[in-house]
Order: sequence, then structure tokens, then C-alpha cells
Amino acid sequence: METLSFEFPAGQPPKGRALVGCVGSGDLEVLLEPGTPGRLTIEVQTSVNGAEQRWQHLFERIFQEQMPPAMHIDIHDFGATPGVVRLRLEQGFEEIDHD
Amino acid sequence: MNAHDLLWGMTPAHLPADAPAWAVDAISAGHPVVVRRAIAELGYVAVGVRGRLREQRFAAEMPLAAVQRRVAPEALRDVVSSRDLPALQALAQLRSVLEQETWGVSGSAGFELATGIEALHARSDLDLILRTPKRLERADAEDLLAILDTTVCPVDLQLQTPFGAVALREWASGSRRVLLKTASGAHLVLDPWQAVA
Repeated sequence: METLSFEFPAGQPPKGRALVGCVGSGDLEVLLEPGTPGRLTIEVQTSVNGAEQRWQHLFERIFQEQMPPAMHIDIHDFGATPGVVRLRLEQGFEEIDHD
Repeated sequence: MNAHDLLWGMTPAHLPADAPAWAVDAISAGHPVVVRRAIAELGYVAVGVRGRLREQRFAAEMPLAAVQRRVAPEALRDVVSSRDLPALQALAQLRSVLEQETWGVSGSAGFELATGIEALHARSDLDLILRTPKRLERADAEDLLAILDTTVCPVDLQLQTPFGAVALREWASGSRRVLLKTASGAHLVLDPWQAVA
């Protein structure tokens, strides 16, 4: 088990919070909460060790497409593939927008 | 052949040149590989090689002609182990609960029960699959999850619909969209019993 921290530039904080995903092999649980304006902080707890670079690259790819809102994101990862991580984050962003 | 089936017969010659040493060791030792939910080339099946460590998982393709033996998760549900571990205790607790269903054991527990190789440890979850060709109503999913959550260790049950797999825990959670794992990748869907558009 490893805990990784990341930080990215962001816009304004959203109003709501969201919890998406699921505890279980190949999946992840994502909790998104409003953060400090201009900052997106992410904490990843993962069962797969030695994957810091992979997370960094994945987040960079996702956030370069669109400036994310200012949030704190807590991720509990259970060996999800990059495709699943991306889907869950997109789902979280959608839910935080709707509520 | 379905996702989670265990296959014997793969040899190191079937592994690509960039396969890690632990994967070559596992195959050389005669360990089975696990069928992955992915599309393989004609005449091949997508498989995963398991190493001793959790991050040791290697995706490969096995020629169908090389398959010597196949064990489906259903064949493992009555296998009794002499090891005393929470995942195996949970399995013993759930046999009667799931008696009327088509279900099986996957993950580390399935691998250990099929091979005798110690893959489980004291903090391992129990991975199960449940065949659900017909829709499992959300209320029934909630009831089943409530029972699974009374066992001594976390149970990860994946519903196998005609179109892929969805976690019972998520289907029971009330989440509007759920993650359906299919051969062409993961999708967020409203109804796991409907073909992905």
C-alpha cells in the first residue's frame, strides 16, 4: 500500500462534492471535494506499488485537455487500469457539476 | 471460454520477448493463466499471468491450441482448503447463501483453490463471480450485498451479465451509472443488461 500526492493548477472550486466508484479489484473509489481556488490536490492510496510516474502522466493527460476545478480528490485505488481511472474521474467531474 | 477461467498449457515460448522474469518463472513452473476480458487475435485468448506480488500481473495472449486444461470459477466453489484464512472462512459462510445460484470463485482465492499455490494471505479479499444472464433488480442486489457484508472479510462479487461484468457493490449502491467491464474496455452505463451502444 502506497500513498501518493499530486498537485495541479486549477480554476475555481465547485459547490458540491461527489463520491464515485467502487471498492473492489480493478476499480477505484474517488471522493471529490471543493478545494482552495487555483489548486487541485490529489491523494492516491493504491494497492499497486511503484506506479507514481504512471499516475502523474495520466493526470497530466486528463488535465491538459481542460483546466480542472479547484478540488481535493481522494482516490482509493484497487489496481484500476488507466481507462477505468479516467472514466471514474470524468464521472466525478460530471456529478460535482450537477449537484 | 470466459473471463476468470484458469488455463493450463502455456509455455515460456508463448510469452513475448519483453515479458518480465517473474512471468517467465510462473509459466515455467506450470502455473495456469487467467482469461482476461479482452479481444485477442483469431486463434488466441487474452490471458493474464499472475506473479507472487500484487503488481505482478502481465497481459499476454495464449494460442487456443495450447490449452490443455480449463477450470471455470464454478468448479472451485466446493473445493475445500486446509488453510485457515478469512477469505476461505467467508467462502465457507457463503456457500449456503449462494446455493441456488450459478456462481464461482475467482481472484487469489480461485487461483489458490485450483492450484494449491498459496496466493491468499490474511488480508486478501474474497473475489466471487455470479452469472446473471437475466437482470438482477437493484433491491435484490442490495439484499445480497447486505449478506456478503456480514462475512469475516470483504467480498468483491462481480455480476456477469451477457455484456460484461459489473460490481454487485456498485449496482446495489444506487449510483445512476455503473462501470461495465467489457471485452472492448470499461464503460459507464445505465443498464448493464443492455448492449453498450
